[in-house]
Amino acid sequence: MAGPKATAPVKGTSSSTSSSSSPSAVQTLWKAYLDHTAPRLKFIDSFLTFLVLSGVLQFVYCVLVTSFPFNAFLSGFASTVGQFVLTASLRSQVNSENRTLFKDVSPERAFADFVIGSVVLHFFVFNFLG
Amino acid sequence: MLRSFGALCLSLLGLAALTQAGSSSGNSVLVVLQPSLKRDAFSLFFDGLEKKGYSLTFRAPKDDTPVIIEHDVPLFDHIILFAPDTKSFAKDISPQALVNVLNHKTNLLIALSPKQTPLSLLAAEFSLILPPPGMPLLSHFPPRDTAPTVIPITVPADNAVLTPGTPPVWFSGVPQALGANPLLVPLLRAPPESFAADTDKDAGAEAVVDAAEKGGEGLWAGSALGVVTGFQTRDSARVVWAGGVELFGDEFAKKEIEKGVKSGNTQFALDTAAWAFQENLVLRIDKTGHHLANETTPREHYTINDLIVYDIAISKYNAAEDAWAPYSGLTDLQLDFTMLDPHVRTALVPVAGAPGIYSATFRAPDRHGVFKFVVDYKRRGWTFLHSSTTVPVIPPRHDGYPRFLSAAWPYYAGAISTSVGFLLFSALWLAGDDRETKKTKKTE
Amino acid sequence: MGPLSLLLLPLAAALAVNAGQLSIQSPRFTVLSSDGNQLRTEQISLSKKAKEPVTLGPTDSLKLTFQVKEEGGEGVQPHQTFLRFYDETTGEEGIQPVKVTASGKAKFDFNMARPPASLPPSGAAPLKVSLILGSFVHTPATVELFDLVVPPSLSAVHPDEQTFHPLPEIQHTFRPEQKVPPKAVSAVFTGIVLSPWLVLIGLWGYLQPRVPHLFSLSILPFTVSLGALEALLLWYWVELRLGQILLYGAGAAFVAAVTGKQALVSIGEHRTGRK
Repeated sequence: MAGPKATAPVKGTSSSTSSSSSPSAVQTLWKAYLDHTAPRLKFIDSFLTFLVLSGVLQFVYCVLVTSFPFNAFLSGFASTVGQFVLTASLRSQVNSENRTLFKDVSPERAFADFVIGSVVLHFFVFNFLG
Repeated sequence: MLRSFGALCLSLLGLAALTQAGSSSGNSVLVVLQPSLKRDAFSLFFDGLEKKGYSLTFRAPKDDTPVIIEHDVPLFDHIILFAPDTKSFAKDISPQALVNVLNHKTNLLIALSPKQTPLSLLAAEFSLILPPPGMPLLSHFPPRDTAPTVIPITVPADNAVLTPGTPPVWFSGVPQALGANPLLVPLLRAPPESFAADTDKDAGAEAVVDAAEKGGEGLWAGSALGVVTGFQTRDSARVVWAGGVELFGDEFAKKEIEKGVKSGNTQFALDTAAWAFQENLVLRIDKTGHHLANETTPREHYTINDLIVYDIAISKYNAAEDAWAPYSGLTDLQLDFTMLDPHVRTALVPVAGAPGIYSATFRAPDRHGVFKFVVDYKRRGWTFLHSSTTVPVIPPRHDGYPRFLSAAWPYYAGAISTSVGFLLFSALWLAGDDRETKKTKKTE
Repeated sequence: MGPLSLLLLPLAAALAVNAGQLSIQSPRFTVLSSDGNQLRTEQISLSKKAKEPVTLGPTDSLKLTFQVKEEGGEGVQPHQTFLRFYDETTGEEGIQPVKVTASGKAKFDFNMARPPASLPPSGAAPLKVSLILGSFVHTPATVELFDLVVPPSLSAVHPDEQTFHPLPEIQHTFRPEQKVPPKAVSAVFTGIVLSPWLVLIGLWGYLQPRVPHLFSLSILPFTVSLGALEALLLWYWVELRLGQILLYGAGAAFVAAVTGKQALVSIGEHRTGRK
């Protein structure tokens, strides 16, 4: 995911300013994403981007400076990773294009699962954070 | 009967003016005196002992009573054996029986002679090597009127057992070569010019040299020999081996070393008996304790890296007052904190203001396990002190580690920001609008 | 012992009358190397000691000759002719008897390759060598000869001997403390780790999701109880014990479940019902 590069002003209009002479695969993908994704899903994707960045930066700190309270690193990192997984599964389950896969799961049910999973994850994270 | 007479003496003397009270381990003494020696010939020594408060019981070596040990209980606190020439003793005084009473903490004072007796065979068990029978110690120095076998010996000035300033003592008897056993406490050594020989004429010089070259031990000569040697067993029972019995007798006590200078025999004999009978240089441990540095009660277990304080209270017996008094004079007391091997060894220093208490502070090693505080104090002449206290040392409990460290701030920030992000996300999601219209595209 | 000394008493007294002082004549020592070369040979002066100590190497041998005589008289064979080796610093001593002929001539030699048993264990200090002459009939004498330096040797020590003296102190070497980075570095990285918030706010700001029901009565309690749950977890991190958090958490979770059901039902209706 081209997270860090996708700063706000660049989005949206890039598809119209880039010349159609050489649309790269990434740009095509990006344009398709912007055009066809529901706003609710983009809302979730922003949160996912935030979680990835947060995890990567904690990992960078661990490698560059110190891993000393290793339990703290694991907690912090695992909180972002776990939250990412839960949010990604929420996104899959509320995506209207996946309706056929999740016939028995209503979006509300998916959100309820998401909330319960997140709270339990945070409990373990703060338990281990030290 | 003699014992009750002794008890009467004791009570009468107790009423008299200030007397030196006796030993820390009891006052009953059995004196085994061979028939050829008369009690009056040792009156100065025995009277001196009685003045100190001992009750003496006399018996000949061949008498059946009083026995020294009965049903595995010794009947006397101390035994003096002035039977240097006796070749056969009664059944209860065998070398094994003497060692047995020693193991029961009875102290012994034994006199030897150039004759070979069961006692001289027993001396070999105490790392004392005696010359062949019939070879008394003799010295041609200093030139004097008495026989060469009667030797004046200077009393060492730096021995903790003997009174400093004691005049030279007369000695006649057999020297002992000392083994390397650290339990030996030499009290008086032979003069450097003395040697053991059985010849009495100058013509015997050849025999002296031949004896030296022949025997395994060579020549018994010089100041490496002891004439009065003590031995302290591992239980701190004491034995004194004297090379001759005349050392304790009145004749030598009254003989002058030179004109106007009396011999130090009486003083020396009483000093030796005082050490042998546990009067001086006697220590004991009163109590030991341990606690964390800023607490006072001991804990059941300690955590690694804890600062632990150990203290020990030691008393010394004061014979003059017949009481134990706290003693802070030990300068090299050490504490071992060991688990199979000593991990920590520090000095126990006397605490200023608390007499008799020594303490040491140290940090528990960062290995966990069952440790012991061991104090093992062994010095020549002093009672052996030993104490061992077991204490477990455990690693920190799950909540004993340091928390909220500065190195972990980014991780705390990450975890908290995930939680806050989740809250915000949920709030916005719930509040949001989700009509089932697929085609809404927001491009701004 | 008593009778014997009594017997000697008058005898010694009688003989002491005409006893002369023992002394030695022409004492000489020679140091030989292992192949017989004479390394040093000297007359021993009785009035003053040799300035240099006699040094023996591991294969050298020492030969000592002298004659014992009565002062102003002729050679005699005394009862006791001993060489005394003495180390003043350690107190170690060794006595060696010397064979003397009837005319008083004495000779003693030894080789350091097989040292005599009487040579005491020695260290750095030189051994003082003296001669002890004793006799029943003559006045005895001690004669200082020279200082001797021999290769050092150890004395036999009992294995327990060292426990009778203070033992060396032992300090435990602890594992080195964990190195903690400077607080400034950690603070900076805390800021860096929080920087994705800028991205999130930016993205959401750009997306501008519509939130018409943010404060509606069916949604707000649930949001608040989620907030309370997270706050409870933070409190647990800082202060609470496990038992307490489980207790409080169960209560808060119950409240959240109730309000959550209400909230989700309401959302569902919005999604499906009121189109």
